[in-house]
Amino acid sequence: MSMCSTARRAAPVAIAVIVGALSALPGYAQAPADAADTRAATIVAQQTAKATRLAPYEPGAIEALVKEVSEHLTASEVKWHPYYDTAYNGAGFTLGAGYVFHPGDFDTLDMSAAMSFTKSKRAEVEYRLPGILGRRGVLTVLGGWREGLGESFFGIGPATSATGRTAFDFRQSAVSSTIDLRPNRRAVVLMGGVELQHYEQRPVTGSDFEQSYTPETLPGFGATTDYVQVHGTAAIDWRPAEDYARRGGYYGVTARRYDDTSGPFSFRRVDYEVVQHVPVLRDAWVLSLRGRVETTYTSEGDTVPFFILPTLGSGSTLRGFASMRFRDRNSLLLSAEWRVLVNGFVDVALFYDAGKVAERRADLDFKQLNKDYGVGFRVHTFAATPIRVDFARSTEGFQVAFAASAVF
Amino acid sequence: MSHSNSSSTIGRRTAAVVLVLCVLLPLASVRTAQPRFFADDPLALEPESQDASGAQPVDINLAFDLTRAYFVTSRRESTGVRAGNVNTVDEVPDSSWFGNRIGARALSTDDLVTGPNVNPAPDPSTWTILREKSSGAAAGFTARDAGGATWFVSFDAPSNPDGATGAIVVATKLFWALGYNQVENHLSELRRENLRIDPAASVKRPSGRRTPMTDDDVDAVLARAKPGLNGAYRITAGRALPGKILGGFRYEGTRPDDPNDVVDHEHRRELRALRVFGAWTNLTDMKAGNTLDTLETAGGRGRIRHYLQDVGSTFGIGANGPHDWSEGREYVVQAGPALRRLFTLGFALSPWQTAHYESVPAVGPFDGDAFDAQGWRPRAPVLAYTEMRADDGFWAARRVVAFSDESIRTAVSTGRYTDARAASHLAHVLIARRDHIARFYLPAINPVVDVAFEPGGWLVFRNAAVDHAGAFGAAPLHRHVVRLRQRHQRLARTRRDDRRHDAAGGAGRSARCRGRVRAGGPLRRPCRTPGLEPPGRELLPPRGIRVEARRPGATAGQVIAHG
Repeated sequence: MSMCSTARRAAPVAIAVIVGALSALPGYAQAPADAADTRAATIVAQQTAKATRLAPYEPGAIEALVKEVSEHLTASEVKWHPYYDTAYNGAGFTLGAGYVFHPGDFDTLDMSAAMSFTKSKRAEVEYRLPGILGRRGVLTVLGGWREGLGESFFGIGPATSATGRTAFDFRQSAVSSTIDLRPNRRAVVLMGGVELQHYEQRPVTGSDFEQSYTPETLPGFGATTDYVQVHGTAAIDWRPAEDYARRGGYYGVTARRYDDTSGPFSFRRVDYEVVQHVPVLRDAWVLSLRGRVETTYTSEGDTVPFFILPTLGSGSTLRGFASMRFRDRNSLLLSAEWRVLVNGFVDVALFYDAGKVAERRADLDFKQLNKDYGVGFRVHTFAATPIRVDFARSTEGFQVAFAASAVF
Repeated sequence: MSHSNSSSTIGRRTAAVVLVLCVLLPLASVRTAQPRFFADDPLALEPESQDASGAQPVDINLAFDLTRAYFVTSRRESTGVRAGNVNTVDEVPDSSWFGNRIGARALSTDDLVTGPNVNPAPDPSTWTILREKSSGAAAGFTARDAGGATWFVSFDAPSNPDGATGAIVVATKLFWALGYNQVENHLSELRRENLRIDPAASVKRPSGRRTPMTDDDVDAVLARAKPGLNGAYRITAGRALPGKILGGFRYEGTRPDDPNDVVDHEHRRELRALRVFGAWTNLTDMKAGNTLDTLETAGGRGRIRHYLQDVGSTFGIGANGPHDWSEGREYVVQAGPALRRLFTLGFALSPWQTAHYESVPAVGPFDGDAFDAQGWRPRAPVLAYTEMRADDGFWAARRVVAFSDESIRTAVSTGRYTDARAASHLAHVLIARRDHIARFYLPAINPVVDVAFEPGGWLVFRNAAVDHAGAFGAAPLHRHVVRLRQRHQRLARTRRDDRRHDAAGGAGRSARCRGRVRAGGPLRRPCRTPGLEPPGRELLPPRGIRVEARRPGATAGQVIAHG
C-alpha cells in the first residue's frame, strides 16, 4: 500500500525527467507538428514558412556606419580630411582640417589649415593635376602661408649647447609650381619646379635670442628675404611606395638655387639622399638604411640666412635631439632601422641615428657624430604610414616623436 | 527499526523505478514510432520549392566584413552542430550550391579539361571594351569578343607571367570537379591592335564622374600587364553569368530574401568543407566579393544560384602578384603570432619564414612538404570554417583524395604554362598537399565508408584511409568497430579488426574490409542471418538502421550511415 502510493507520487516527476532526457537524445527528437512523409517535404515546409517572412537585407547600425566611413575614405568626391602638417618641425601637437574637391575629372584642389597648441599656424591651397604627359607626370601648384612661433634656435655649428636654446618667430608665404615626372613610368624620377618665397623673421620679444645675437653675428637676423627658388631632382626610386616600403631603394640628388631678389642671401643647395630597404628572412625583418648629405654653396659676398640652414634634430632626423637642435651650412645624417613585421599593419623598429652639421663640407666625416637610439611603433597600410610613434634617447635626453608619415 | 526504514526506502525507490519503466517503455515505443526515416532518404536533391524572384542585389561591405571577421568571428567557438544539409548517408545532396561530381561519380579526362566551360571559347580576333573593371586593383575590363559574347578579361601581373591566368583556369577546374558552381574561364589572348572601345563604355574618373573611355585609358590598363614575346597579352576570359546579379554571399547566416535558403551557411557542409579544399589549393581570399549569387528564372519561378565566382587567388599567386609569405599560414590579423613577434622582436620565427619554397614565378610561394593541413588559414577567419567538424573534414578529404595523380596533372595542364617546370611543380605540390590532407583528415574519424550487407550476413565496408594508403607511407593501423542500431537498440556489431594494412598492398587488397555480423545488443536478439539476402525484415528492417563507427579511444561513435 505504502509502496504503491509512494511510487504513484514519484512517477510523474521521474517520467518527466526521463522523458525530458530522452527527448534530448538525437534519436528522440520530437517530430515537428507538421511533419511530412518525406524528407523533401520537411524541407519544403521550412521554405514555405520562410517565404512568409521574406525581407530585403538590411545592414545593422554598425555595418551601415563602417560602410559609410569606408566609402567616404575611398570615394574621390568632395570630402573633408584631417590635416596635421605643422608650421615647422617642433611646433608641437597640431590639429587641422582640409577640404578637397575635383575641379575637373582628374585634378584636385585641396584647401587646408592647421594650428598647433603653441599657436603656430599653417594654411595651404594645393592644386594637383595628375596624368599629364601621357600619364607620366604630376603638376602641383601650391600657395601657402605659415607663421611659426617660438622656433628653437641653439646657435650655428656642431658645438652648440642644448642649454643655449633661444627662439624666434617667423612668417613665410610661398607660391610654387612643380612637375614630378616618371619618364618610363617606373623607377626613374625627374622633378623640377620654381618657387617664390617671402620670409620674415623676428626675435621673440624679450627673449634671449634678441640679447644673444645681432645682424652681425647671425646672418639673416631680423632680415626679410624674397627668394626665387628653382629646383630639380633626379632619382631612381624603386620602392613600392614612398611612405611605406619593405624593399627597394631611393637614390637621388636634388639641387636648389635660391636667388635673393633684394639682399645678400643668395645661395645654392645640393642634397644627396640614399635609402635602401633590405628584407631579411621573408620580411621577418627589414633592415632600412638612410644616408643624407645636405650642402650649401654661396657666391662671394653672399651668405645663407640662419633660418634656412640645413638642420638636424626632429622626429625624422636625429630623433633623440630637440627639433632644430643643430644648424650649419652642411649636414650629414645616417639612420638605420631594424624593422620587425608584427603583422600586415603594424611594425616595430629599433633605430639608430647619427649625424652632424659642419660649416665646411670637408668636415662632414664620421667623427664626433651626434648619436641617438630608440624604438618605434608604426601602423601602416600597403603604401602609407598614418601613425608613427618613436621613442628616442640621446646624450641630451629622451624624446618622443609622433608623426603621420614614415621616417624614410 | 532503522533497518526497517532503510528497507522500506529501498523498496519504495525500486517500486518507483519499476513503475517509471512500466510507464516509460510503452511511451518510448510510441515515440520511436515517429518517422525518423523517410521514404525519400537518402535525399539526393535539395528541394527549392519557393519563388525567389523578389531577391534584391546586396552590396556586402568589405571593410565591415573584414573587421567583423578579425574581431568577432575570430572569437567564435565551434558549436559542434552537425552540418545541416547532409542526408542520412552523410552526403551532401545536389543543390543550387553544390553538385556531386568527383568522389560521387567517375570524372573522365575530358570532364576535367572541360570543367564548367560548356560553351565555346572566346573569339579573340576583336575585343570591344564595354566597361572598366569595377573592383579590385588588378588590370582588367569587361569586353565583347568577335562572337558577341561578354567576358570579364583579366591579366597576369608583369612580375609573374602565366601566374594569375593559370591559377584561375586550373583552380576553376578543380573547384568545378569538387562540386562548386564555377564561372566559365578560358585562356585566350588579346592584342592591342584588336581592341576597340564601345561608344557607350565609360570610366569613373577620380572626380567620381563618368566620362567616355579613351585609348589613353586602355593604355593605362595595359601598362599594368606585360605582353608575351609575340606581342599578345595572355588573358583569362570569364563568361558573364546568366541571370540577375545579386551580389556575394556570406559564409554565415542566410539570405533573408531567399525563401529556399533555410540552412545557415556556416552549417552547410560544402561551405565548411571549403576549409579543406582551400587548404589544398591555398585559396586564401574568401571575401564575399569572390562569391556571387545570381537569380535565374525558369517557368515563372526565380531560383538563386550560388557561385564561387573567383577562385583565382590560389596556389601562391593572385591577380596582383605572388601571395604574401604568410598567406595560408596566418590570418592577416592574428593576435597570437603578432604578439609573439612583437615581444621577441621577430626572433620567434613563424613557420612561413623558414619553409622552403621553390622559386617558380608562375606558381608563387606554394609548398607541399611543409604544408600543415590543420594549421592552414585563409586571410581572414570564416565562420563556416570554425564550424567544420571532423566528419565534414573527412567528407571533404574523401573528395580531395578522389583526385588521382593523373587527374591533378590533367587539371594543371589546362593552365597551359609556358614553363613546363611550373606545371610540373604545381602538380607535384598539389599531390603532396592532397596526401597531407589524407593523412590528417581521413584518420580523424573512423574511416569506414560505403557500408553494405552482402550474402552470408557479411557487413562490408571500405576503409577510406586504406583506400588511400599510399599517402601514409608507414602502415596505418585501423580498428573497426561497427555497430548496427535500430532505433537505439543495438542489433549487431562487427568483430574488432585489428589487421594491419601495408602501404603497398593496402589500396588494393584491403580496400574492402568486412566484419562478421553477430548477435548483440541489449535485448540479445538473435541474428539468424547466414545466407540472409537481404537481412530478414524482422531483424534488420530496411528502414531505421543506424550504423555507427567508433574510433579507438573515442568516447562515442560517429554515425556513418542511417536510413
